[in-house]
Amino acid sequence: MAISNEQVGALFKKNPVVTGAVFVCLVLIGAIYFRLDAMPEATTELEARSDEGRRLAENIKNSVQLTEQLAAVTEANKEIDTRLVRTGQLANNLQYFYRLESDTGAKLLDLRQSAPPRVVPKTAKVPVGFTVAVQGSYLQVFEFLRRLESGTYYCRVMSASLAPIDEVGPTGLLRPTNARLTLNLELLGTP
Amino acid sequence: MLSLLKKKTDATPAANRLPAWHPNFRNYDQLPDIKAVRTSFFINGGAIMAALVLLVYFGIQELQLHSVNAQISDWGKQIDRDKAASTRAVAQFKQFQAEEAKINQVIAFQAGRPVLSDLVLQLGQTLPANIAIDSLDIRETNMNLRATVRGAPDLASGYASQYVDQLRADPALSLVVTEVTLTNLNRVPSTGRLAIELVLKLKAPAAPAKK
Repeated sequence: MAISNEQVGALFKKNPVVTGAVFVCLVLIGAIYFRLDAMPEATTELEARSDEGRRLAENIKNSVQLTEQLAAVTEANKEIDTRLVRTGQLANNLQYFYRLESDTGAKLLDLRQSAPPRVVPKTAKVPVGFTVAVQGSYLQVFEFLRRLESGTYYCRVMSASLAPIDEVGPTGLLRPTNARLTLNLELLGTP
Repeated sequence: MLSLLKKKTDATPAANRLPAWHPNFRNYDQLPDIKAVRTSFFINGGAIMAALVLLVYFGIQELQLHSVNAQISDWGKQIDRDKAASTRAVAQFKQFQAEEAKINQVIAFQAGRPVLSDLVLQLGQTLPANIAIDSLDIRETNMNLRATVRGAPDLASGYASQYVDQLRADPALSLVVTEVTLTNLNRVPSTGRLAIELVLKLKAPAAPAKK
């Protein structure tokens, strides 16, 4: 049995409250359906924004003293740069050892600079090898070593040999007063 | 007078007791609902209630969404405000890291080997009176120490082993030395003294921290 439009209209007119409520329900269901994804999307965006916001706030908070710290490390690096040997400046490098020789009184027996590595980035720091042999009294030799290790340039001793110079002879009971120190050392430098 | 106890006689004929037949012309659709609570009340009420429930649900959802959007907007404003300062801070930090890496190179360079003069000084300061160091030889992993022990033959070897124990227990030396071994001990016929040889195993340099 087909229902005519008049019958439907009459039904609506007869039950206006139910008709209105059903209409409102349908509209609301449609709206809820179309807004279904809005909440999860908004939540995801909120999480992303809040994460970014917190990250930026942390960056700012952590950088409170960064300017001063950066200035301090930059200053320290400038000072470090003055304490690096230049691999190409052989004369200046060797002069450093001769100056130590004259300051301490120890006698340099051997002094050689090793060949620098061939390919090195310009900004990199490289260890520059030296072979040094000095002779003198124990005090002179120790002073030479002490000054070398706490001197202008950054130094590390790779191998060393300290032996007495036996002037009395092996049978003597007196201990020798002079010693010879042979060092393989590295000074920190730049190309 | 009639007795009240007397049973009434049913004088009505059987035909009269049946309801009279008549055609039912009542139109139920047009007749009013005579129930105590009308059916339309429940239908209308149910429909309105459903609409209200949906409306409240939708309203709450929208309210929450509005609140979330307001928070997003607040974070957006904060991000816009902080972005420039943060970018500056990040750039500064990168500079700082680059500068720090240069300093770390120097630290790693120096930490790679023990300071020989400190080592010699420590050995000299803690040297027992009857032992003299003749020579020392430091290599990548070991330091060889040759020394002479003075004293009566029966006591000299005791001094030597005491010295080894002393070196092992030395707190300053333990920072750079892991093991002390007496590798050789013999009498020098020409002097009558005891020559000893010690091997001090050096600590391996700490591996550089990974960035």
